[in-house]
Amino acid sequence: MSLMDSLAAGLSLVGNVEAFFMLFCGLVIGVIGGAIPGLSATMAVALTLPFTFSMAPINGILLLLGVYKGGIFGGSIPAILIKTPGTPASSATILDGHPMAERGEAGRALGMALYASCTADAVSNLALILFAGWLASFALNFGPPEFFALILFSLTIIAGVSGESLLRGALSALAGLLLATVGLDLVYGTNRFTFGDPNMMGGLNFIAVLIGLFAIPEIIAMAWNPVAHLGRARALGKTRCTLADYLGSFKSIIRGSMIGVFLGSIPGIGAAPSAFLSYSEARRTSKNKANFGKGEIEGVAASEAGNNGVAGATLIPLLALGVPGDVITAIIIGAFMVHGLQPGPMMFILNVDIIYGLFIGLIVSSVFLLIVGSVAIRGFRFVADVPKRILMPAVLILCIYGVFAVNNNIFDVGVMFVMGWLGYIMMRNRIPAAPFLIAFILGPLLEDNFRQSMLMSGSDPLILFRGPITWFFWLLTGVTVLAITRSTLRKRVPLS
Amino acid sequence: MSEKSLHLRLGIFMSLFALFLVLYAIPSFVFAPSNVGKIVLSPLFWPYVLAGLAGIVGLALIANALTSAQDTPFEDEETEHPEGAAPWMRLGALAVIMVLVMFGLPRLGMVWTAMLAFAACAFLFRTRHPILALVCAVVVPLLLYAFFAHVAGVAIPQGNLVRLP
Amino acid sequence: MKLRTLGSVLALGVGLIAGTAMAEYPERPINMIIPYGAGGATDISARTIAEPLGTAVGQALVMANVTGAGGATGSVAVQNANPDGYTMLFARVGSHSVNPAMKATLPYTLDDFRFVTVYEINPVACAVRPDSGIDSMEDLVAKVAEGGVSYSSSGVGSLLHLAGAMVLSEFGVEDPLTQATHIPQQGGGAAATAVLNGTATFICTNSSALASFVANGQLKPLMVTTAEPVVGFDAPTANDLGKPALNKLVGWTGIAGPDGLPDDVAAKWGEWMAAATQDETFRTTMEARGSVIELMDPETANAFILEQYNTFKALVDQLGMRIEG
Repeated sequence: MSLMDSLAAGLSLVGNVEAFFMLFCGLVIGVIGGAIPGLSATMAVALTLPFTFSMAPINGILLLLGVYKGGIFGGSIPAILIKTPGTPASSATILDGHPMAERGEAGRALGMALYASCTADAVSNLALILFAGWLASFALNFGPPEFFALILFSLTIIAGVSGESLLRGALSALAGLLLATVGLDLVYGTNRFTFGDPNMMGGLNFIAVLIGLFAIPEIIAMAWNPVAHLGRARALGKTRCTLADYLGSFKSIIRGSMIGVFLGSIPGIGAAPSAFLSYSEARRTSKNKANFGKGEIEGVAASEAGNNGVAGATLIPLLALGVPGDVITAIIIGAFMVHGLQPGPMMFILNVDIIYGLFIGLIVSSVFLLIVGSVAIRGFRFVADVPKRILMPAVLILCIYGVFAVNNNIFDVGVMFVMGWLGYIMMRNRIPAAPFLIAFILGPLLEDNFRQSMLMSGSDPLILFRGPITWFFWLLTGVTVLAITRSTLRKRVPLS
Repeated sequence: MSEKSLHLRLGIFMSLFALFLVLYAIPSFVFAPSNVGKIVLSPLFWPYVLAGLAGIVGLALIANALTSAQDTPFEDEETEHPEGAAPWMRLGALAVIMVLVMFGLPRLGMVWTAMLAFAACAFLFRTRHPILALVCAVVVPLLLYAFFAHVAGVAIPQGNLVRLP
Repeated sequence: MKLRTLGSVLALGVGLIAGTAMAEYPERPINMIIPYGAGGATDISARTIAEPLGTAVGQALVMANVTGAGGATGSVAVQNANPDGYTMLFARVGSHSVNPAMKATLPYTLDDFRFVTVYEINPVACAVRPDSGIDSMEDLVAKVAEGGVSYSSSGVGSLLHLAGAMVLSEFGVEDPLTQATHIPQQGGGAAATAVLNGTATFICTNSSALASFVANGQLKPLMVTTAEPVVGFDAPTANDLGKPALNKLVGWTGIAGPDGLPDDVAAKWGEWMAAATQDETFRTTMEARGSVIELMDPETANAFILEQYNTFKALVDQLGMRIEG
């Protein structure tokens, strides 16, 4: 079958109103689900899955993909407006998005988030369509040693999000790494810091930690000084994201999309590290470097491009290898299977019509996202106008419901509260929260891949340098660490 | 507070915390089977590495504090709070609210607990719209319940007293 | 001792009172706890049966994933729940026969639950990469003797962990723990990927988790543990290879309540499950995923699980796989 025939076959599959309608519905569900903290894109996809069983395969899969993409964007709405990331992937968006909202530029930040998301989504879909096979076989070269080197490099992001002081950033990161050791040991299954509590054995819930660290300290700060916000111009997010804003951040958006595509095509990394990596790269190269973390629109653009760039790319290992790249694609793979479709190389031969139908649907999804997103922004912007002393208790209640819903466990609500106080103490002591979070995500990955490498090689450390990919990341890590050391020292010299 | 004194404080705290981990917490709360072959594979290895790094960061903070010559306070430092002890009272009250929420969730159910918590917080923050706050305190938890329980299908804890449909 | 007798008498009494008071069980929605994450084998199985089961029950079933610690977190939630039949658990082979057999530190035992049914059996298959040069179980065993063989699993105490050791042990490998390396991964998907990218040599897991890789020629099946061949798996059965003892090594999904579950509630579940498993959509969906629908009543289910547990326990003790501390 030629390309044209395949395209025609694909078109005939999606060329009905129903398929596009499902995609649209999916995006709407996703944006709403993503915008509710704790519900998250993952939950939204999982909840939609049972409805797809009775649909035609292409409609069901497009519905799920719509939910996925909508959810990843939707998460940025509460991240900007109430400093509570709707999905873990949007935690990087807080860093600059929320300060912008505080300044009364919520509309501008949300607009940029949407445009960056759509652009990254389109780039990601294109990468999927053009390079799926090639990227997938590359991703298969990633064993534990390669992952170890990649994650070690990713930890250098911490320097980029540490803010005023690298030392305090390192302190924050170490606290995150230590907290992530709670739970059952991967290799031997023994208890680590669980104190015999079955709720601790699974480790601390990531979303509970995340929301506790970002949203709750704001509420505690409100108790400390309920009138602190009154002098500031917060209200009315009537500002818009202009074309000049978009063009100014375009380079960061494209770079973020590429980072997203790369990390998305490697199974097991996910969207949150990608957003942070994109953010720290944008900060490193931007001329407004000093303004990052204080409400720089380029920071919002970079984070959102980084996390939405992952969305299309996670389908690369899914379609080309049958390997789910993250939790969400693991759920989507279920939808393929109940319809008797088996993702993998053979699918490009046996079900090529479905593959091309998907591709066409994906291209359209970027445009739909733009439409659904604009409406959603208009709908949610009123949040910026709610009196803050009513909004904050509402956020608290929302967090309680949301964090409970993640794992149906009241214990997680307690984790959120405790993390909230920890976050507040950190805030008072000028310790940044972002390094904590990155370390909390990457720490277990680093340890697990290190130990898996040691298991593979019989504890021979040379395996960590086993091939060109590992050398590349070791080199990158070395160069970055050197650059960070130099710039830190240079900052110190003129001061003292 | 200046960066110098902040770093001194954090450094001392972090170093002591690292010592606490190495001497007490890790040996008592991390379990390793007796048949671990190589030290790098032991469940203890990574916690000890982290404790060591924590110690290094702590010492670096102290060193940084001792070597930095200047002692200028942070610019955006909150100066003496005008209300005296009141902020501390409010922090304490919020902590009590959180503890009560944890206590109430399994017993009263999530909706009723959330209503009480909402109202308590709004008045703790001395809202200027008390009527609106009360209305929100009733409506927001109910709406969230309706959404989470009936749209998202989440088993919101109902408690033993009054069950919602 | 006296206290315990008193306790059980009391529990029996409470159970009786509850039994009479709940003549119209169920009068409100039932919480169904899934101890594994969304999208996993247990989750899909549970959500597929929920549809016909809800119709049979006549009340809403509220599905709740409580994930963590290899199914332990969700299981504990049900263990501590009121035994009134309004909190039930989707029990799985990992959480309720491998975990109890392997982990000394597990906060629950099989006695803390009352099984009302097992409705699904998943055959286990072992597979390797096609270019590994391993074509049969003999090849694999020979390779183990040479050294450097490893197998992946979805974590310590998972079915995959035990399966790798059990299969090698059945095929005459003296000490599979030291002769082959176990490389645990985070979750079943990662475990299959580890074999695909050469991190591990082989994997033994539910055939449904491997079906698409086998169909795509990315993995080659070496054997299946059932007596009957599995559709789509061009590999000998355990019985063909003369190892019928491996028939015990299958995955399953069932439903359990807390230990004190009254008899009439258990009986009702038996009826509901009988009705629900007749559903045509349910059967075709599950069979398309490679499961065998096999309905067991409460007694058979309890006996089945106990027998599998004892087999695993014996193997764990023999190989010294028990996890303490």
